[in-house]
This record gives sequence, structure tokens and C-alpha cells, in this order.
Amino acid sequence: MDENDEQFENYLREFEPRGPRALEPKRQPALDSWRRLAAAAGVMIALGTSLWLVLHSPRWQALQTVTVGTPRPVRVPLSIVPLTKLAATDPARLDAELTAASRQVLPDFRGDKSTLHVLAKE
Amino acid sequence: MEPRKLSREDVTRLYHEHGPALLAYASSFVADRALAEDLLHQVFAKLLEGATPLPDVPAAYLYRAVRNAALNTRRNGFRETALDATNSCFVHRGGDNEAALALQVALAELPDEQREAVVMRVWSGMTLDEVAAATGVSLNTVASRYRYALQKLREKLKPFQKMRSCDGRE
Repeated sequence: MDENDEQFENYLREFEPRGPRALEPKRQPALDSWRRLAAAAGVMIALGTSLWLVLHSPRWQALQTVTVGTPRPVRVPLSIVPLTKLAATDPARLDAELTAASRQVLPDFRGDKSTLHVLAKE
Repeated sequence: MEPRKLSREDVTRLYHEHGPALLAYASSFVADRALAEDLLHQVFAKLLEGATPLPDVPAAYLYRAVRNAALNTRRNGFRETALDATNSCFVHRGGDNEAALALQVALAELPDEQREAVVMRVWSGMTLDEVAAATGVSLNTVASRYRYALQKLREKLKPFQKMRSCDGRE
């Protein structure tokens, strides 16, 4: 290499290559699985907490109380054969059965706002 | 004896040592600086996976890997962007941005093996012996490639050197 080459080499060294951006290391798979596990645990905790809050809220308690306090009336099926038997053996019970059944089928006239009551007033 | 694998520290050291010169080298294949950086990162990300044994001449391996990645990108129909100051991979100490761009263009116009010799020698700080070992050719071949490259670059950068002497800068 002659002197000119060396001079030119020095001139070239006045140009500095720009540094590349920092090397972004690939995330470790182990770290990834820990993150997934932590995320899953977070979701489970959030779900559990919200479920607990719902179950312990006053509205839910009230709903439960109403449900327990007002059982649905059991409908007694009416059919000829058992009614005939009852008529023969226990007329009083037959009477009671028919009264109960009629309350379910016919409009109630005992209440203040019953149809019959209103009509009677008119 | 099993060859030693590249550790994370090895890779980081190589990145700091050769990263800037390799980026300039990659930029001589693809003008888009961001793309050149991506290529460089691809190469180093592979090294970080830890599967690569420590090459005999790490610099040679890196230059080859960057060149292959750049040529693959070209083959895959990459659209070349225009070279401008934002894409320039060189900064001139005296602030001559035009000369920096001209250098990058001139480098890109050199044959691959000449460009490799210049970048390795000037910006990776390797001796011609090391370049010869890295590229697997004789010292004489490297020396003549280097000389031809300098001649061509000097021709292309002459206007900027003249301007500098007219300005009285040195």
C-alpha cells in the first residue's frame, strides 16, 4: 500500500458507521410459561373474587330468601277414580281436596281485590 | 472435543465489536437502513438461540451470514427504496452528509468481494491477513481486491475530498 492509499484509508475512517439499534434478545420460553401461568392465576383470582362478591351481595341473599320462603303450590291432579274412592271412604277429605283444587282453577273471591268482591260492591 | 457453543456474552461482544461495520455492509446490499438492521438482528438472533458453535473466525462467519441474509431478501422480491440521509449508514465526523451518502452508494457499486475487503479492513479493524483468513483466499488476492476497491472509491469520492481541501478543512 502506498502513501496515497493510506491517506485515503484515513479519509474513509472519518466516516463512522452508525451503530445498529440494541439487540433485542428473544424471550426465554421458560419466562414465557411463567408469564402464562401468572396470567392464568390472575384470571382465576378475578373470577373467584367476582363470584364471591356476587354470592355475598345483599341482592343475591334476598333472592335466595324469597325463593326459599315461597314454595310453589303443589298441584293435585284431579281424576275420577281417586275422587270416587275418597267419596266412598272419606267425604270430608274429598271436600277439602275439591276446595283446594277449586282455589287453583277458579278466581279467588276472598281477597279485597277479587272479581267477586268488586262486582259485589258495584 | 466438542466445539464450544457461543455464549450470550460472546454474542453481545461480537455485536458491539462488529455491529456497526456489519450494518454498513448490509446497507450496501439493501439501501433501506431499517431492513439492513432487521437482517443484522436476524443473524444475531440465530446466534442467541445458542445452537451455533463458535466459528473459527467469527467475523468471517458474521459477514457471510449477513451477505446471505441480504441476498435472500433481494431474491424474495424486496423493493429497493431510494437512498437518502435518513437511510445513510455512515456519519461523517466533519458533518459532510453528502459524502456519507456518496460513500454508501460507491460501496454498493463495488463487487461483493471488494466491498467485503474494504468494510472488514476499514470499519471492522481487521488486518489484511485476518481478512484473508476470514474470506478463505490468499493474502495477495485480498490485497489486490482491497487496492482495486480503494481506487474505485477514491474516484467516486474525489469531488468531496476536493471540496474539503478548497474549504481548508483537514
